[in-house]
Amino acid sequence: MKSESLATLLEAVRAKRTVVLATPLATGEGYLVEPFGDRGAVEAEVHRAAAEAAASDRSGLVDTLAGKVFLRVFNPPVSVVIVGAVHIAQALAPMVRLAGYDVVVVDPRRAFAAEERFPGVPLLTEWPDEALGKIGLGRRSAVVTMTHDPKIDDPALAAALRSEAFYVGALGSKKTQAARRERLAGLGFTDGDLSRIHGPVGLSIGASSTGEIAVAILSQLVGCLRQPSGPRTGA
Amino acid sequence: MTSPDLYHEGLLRLARSENRAPRLARPDGQATLDNPLCGDQVTFEVEVRDGRIAALARRVRGCVLCEASAALLGRAALGASAGELAEARACALAMLRGEAAAPGGAFQELAFFTPAREVPSRHRCVLLPFEALEEAVAQAGR
Repeated sequence: MKSESLATLLEAVRAKRTVVLATPLATGEGYLVEPFGDRGAVEAEVHRAAAEAAASDRSGLVDTLAGKVFLRVFNPPVSVVIVGAVHIAQALAPMVRLAGYDVVVVDPRRAFAAEERFPGVPLLTEWPDEALGKIGLGRRSAVVTMTHDPKIDDPALAAALRSEAFYVGALGSKKTQAARRERLAGLGFTDGDLSRIHGPVGLSIGASSTGEIAVAILSQLVGCLRQPSGPRTGA
Repeated sequence: MTSPDLYHEGLLRLARSENRAPRLARPDGQATLDNPLCGDQVTFEVEVRDGRIAALARRVRGCVLCEASAALLGRAALGASAGELAEARACALAMLRGEAAAPGGAFQELAFFTPAREVPSRHRCVLLPFEALEEAVAQAGR
């Protein structure tokens, strides 16, 4: 890899932007591809393959007209934002970490978003729209709202829907979801936007306890990450 | 007590009243207070001349009660002294506790909050903006 490629790669990692290192086996001279950005001088075929590799988060060899190319995907870490420092969040946050993802808990209610309730978990006590702006949501982000308070959940969902977040979930009953959809529609979101919200949240596995509900949510999130066109069962 | 009783039209109108100046160019004092239990957050900025509020600006992230209370202050507290603010807060507290009727004069819109008497857990929502404004005025005096 050339030193300018390395510099770009490091910059992309810092900026949490996906890049793919494409190395033609014939030459061994790797170059960087921005799979979700400008194609530049990159072959359309390679650019498309890089986008697929990045979306599926899988590095590997691809055949192109110019020969075999190894695509090494550099995706930013999956980042899960839990809005609402509630009981279920206390179970979900460590589970998210065990799954290998970054986690941050957002709640302007300082009594809930307290270090002793979430040891070692990054906590933000700004309002969700400010906090999410600071965190920066991208295609590797997931947002789950849990406060049951519209004044806190709604701005978070609005920010999530305006982003490319791969997963948006909202805790709450079917009745709550209907009222929520109505409020968000009032903010200008379309049915298509609103269909991105998983609510009632989590896979339908009969989850009952706090920990079980966290499992159902995390499972659904993993499914959306790894099988974006696969089944997405609601509760 | 149902929500329509608490969030009656007058209160909603007050909460949604226009906030022309969320910031002052050169505030003499400012304060942000929040309620750690519900996340409500109120910021007041003030200019103080001769011991009275000459200009004020507010920014609120909170429930309807909190927004309405801050909006009331945005109108009623202009020209008030620190002592008059403290008195107004005492009036608000006494009214919420059912110990007194809403005052007349500049703070007469406190009457909108009469239904909140029945909901003690929401009294903080009404009082938080009063405390934030008093703190901003105190900051200006320092």
